[in-house]
Amino acid sequence: MSVLVKEPELMDPAPVMAVAADFSEEGVRALSASRNEPGWMLDFRLAAWRRFEAMAWPKSTDESWRRTRLTGFDLKNFTAYATPGATSRRHELSPLLQSELGEMESAASLIFQDGGVHYRNDNPNLAAQGVIFTDLQSAVQKHPELVRQYFMTQAVKPDHNKFTALHAALWDTGAFVYVPKNVTVELPLQAILHQNPGLGGYHHTLLVAEEGSNVTVVDDLLGGVDGMQSGVIELVMKDNTVVRYMNLQDFDHSAWNFLTGRAVMGRDTDLRWIQVSWGSRTTKAFLDLELNGPGGHGELLGLYFPTGRQHIDHQTLQIHNAPNCFSDLLFNGALKDRAHNVYMGIIKVLPDAQKTDSFQRNGNLILDGTARADSIPGLEIEADDVRCTHAATAAQVEDEYVFYLMARGLTRPQAERMIVQGFFQEVLDRVPVESVQHKLERVIERKIGG
Amino acid sequence: MSVLEIRNLHATVGDTEILKGVNLTLRSGEVHAMMGPNGSGKSTLSYIIAGHPHYTVTEGDILLDGESILDMEADERARAGIFLAFQYPVAVPGVSVANFLRTAVSNVRGYTDGNGNGSMSGGVIGSNLMPMREFRRELNSKMQEFNVDSSFARRYLNDGFSGGEKKRTEVLQMAMLEPKFAILDESDSGLDIDALQVVSDGINKLATENRGFLLITHYQRILNYVKPDFVSIFFGGRIVKTGGPEVAQMLEERGYKWVEEELVGGLVPA
Repeated sequence: MSVLVKEPELMDPAPVMAVAADFSEEGVRALSASRNEPGWMLDFRLAAWRRFEAMAWPKSTDESWRRTRLTGFDLKNFTAYATPGATSRRHELSPLLQSELGEMESAASLIFQDGGVHYRNDNPNLAAQGVIFTDLQSAVQKHPELVRQYFMTQAVKPDHNKFTALHAALWDTGAFVYVPKNVTVELPLQAILHQNPGLGGYHHTLLVAEEGSNVTVVDDLLGGVDGMQSGVIELVMKDNTVVRYMNLQDFDHSAWNFLTGRAVMGRDTDLRWIQVSWGSRTTKAFLDLELNGPGGHGELLGLYFPTGRQHIDHQTLQIHNAPNCFSDLLFNGALKDRAHNVYMGIIKVLPDAQKTDSFQRNGNLILDGTARADSIPGLEIEADDVRCTHAATAAQVEDEYVFYLMARGLTRPQAERMIVQGFFQEVLDRVPVESVQHKLERVIERKIGG
Repeated sequence: MSVLEIRNLHATVGDTEILKGVNLTLRSGEVHAMMGPNGSGKSTLSYIIAGHPHYTVTEGDILLDGESILDMEADERARAGIFLAFQYPVAVPGVSVANFLRTAVSNVRGYTDGNGNGSMSGGVIGSNLMPMREFRRELNSKMQEFNVDSSFARRYLNDGFSGGEKKRTEVLQMAMLEPKFAILDESDSGLDIDALQVVSDGINKLATENRGFLLITHYQRILNYVKPDFVSIFFGGRIVKTGGPEVAQMLEERGYKWVEEELVGGLVPA
């Protein structure tokens, strides 16, 4: 790239990185040093690394990993972490990234690449309101007290699983979003990750919404050729907050993708979380809603459409810790070719969570006899005055539907396409940003055709 | 003027012969009511005319203006001017009435190419569609004319519709697609009097001189609203009697038992 604008805190990391970019304690130290991190962050990383080393790799006998195997996965195949370049100007971005930025009207945006910030579009109006929207690396330097308070302390802890421990030791990219009390951010905040080939990546989204605030965040995840991504999402919602969160994963079909995300929700909170898993060769995602205050309203909506030999696995938990909460989960996906989808979910209602109202649904539309969908819904209910329902369906494009549409003049491909698109519509209708809706429609179109 | 001619039609599903030599000629401007008991094969006949792939025609032919349509897929028949109003229209969640109808109308009127190539890339959300403004205007006016609330345009096709709403939407689709021949499979079943009135009004409006109707029904009731030119009695996979409106009256008075006893015992179909 031609003219580059360097971030001061990211300068001159290269000499250290080159020698030590591997999966080791030395590697962790070198990574931290290259980013001039304070001692507390180095200690945090080292503790996580030791935890990672002490934890066993998932085994096929573990309930969570019975249907998703790590055959062929080996850390040795990846560069442990990337060496950030400098940031670019908008016109220097690749056409792909330009179009990603262009298709959505956002309040501010960040693009990450090679373990660092590739582009940033700050918004002074947000800063004036006290809103922080920056990369986590910068937040460690500029807002250490906030990062220390919230980073992997409340929503997702390092020892949650082997991949979160690895993430805590090696985390690199991702946005820190802090919305002060009673502030509403009208337009979405957009964070894009474009992961270059062969890398290990550890993308983190940390959102802290203070009381009475309202914000929409969109994460776009791209690239990842022959790579590995081990991401974490933390949504910390104080009382009376409204959060719309979209995680749009469209990695290359050679990427291994591990994700652990949790929303911790206070009193009278309102969350809608859209989780889209289009890409990757294998995805294993743990996604949790934790309703800790009365009156919480949480929606977790998933879309997937594996093709070829893609393997997608979402494991969800709706934890009701407080009374009078509502949670609604809907994961809908279509499957083609030899693709395999796994959905596992539990609604867990603790003894105090009376008057819980909770739904969990998983629908699969199987387009080829060679594709496979496993759906394992579950309930664990310890309160007696609750309403919880779950349902799993697996359907095909029925001949009767195709015939009905064809009898009205639609060709067979048109009829089939319309039925598949219709199947996704129930979730698409609930995507809160119109441009994201259209973008998802286009991917569905592409996936049906290809 | 067009002619739909069914000649000695035999058809099977699996090993079971369901149609056993059906003969019928329907011309533009005619309303032909076909009455018969449940299980007599009249719905099968309507499916076969529309091109349902589950049935095998073993003998005979169906001709539209002298050309056989048996080798045509259902969508080609629709484009040729055949319309089937379903007894049980399926619900297609996520597909709005307007979006679906715009594609259907565009195909039938030739906005998209007939073999589906152009439509593969652009048929649903593409460019080869009837212009949106023009389509909207026509849809709105027809919704008004056929007593379908304008909110139905945005609703998902038949999803959560009552029986009457489904049948009314079928009539609306027929009005938009302007077929040469409409086969109505029990469009009166399960309707209360008000809904029956609305559906019948729709049929009467559409029963013009350049359109033929085959009105398949179990009951004589709808014929109080829609006046047929001919009435046939369908029994055991074929037509056993054809006459004027008086045949329906006879059937109403004497019931299908009479048909079985008087007409089927070796009698040659009319």
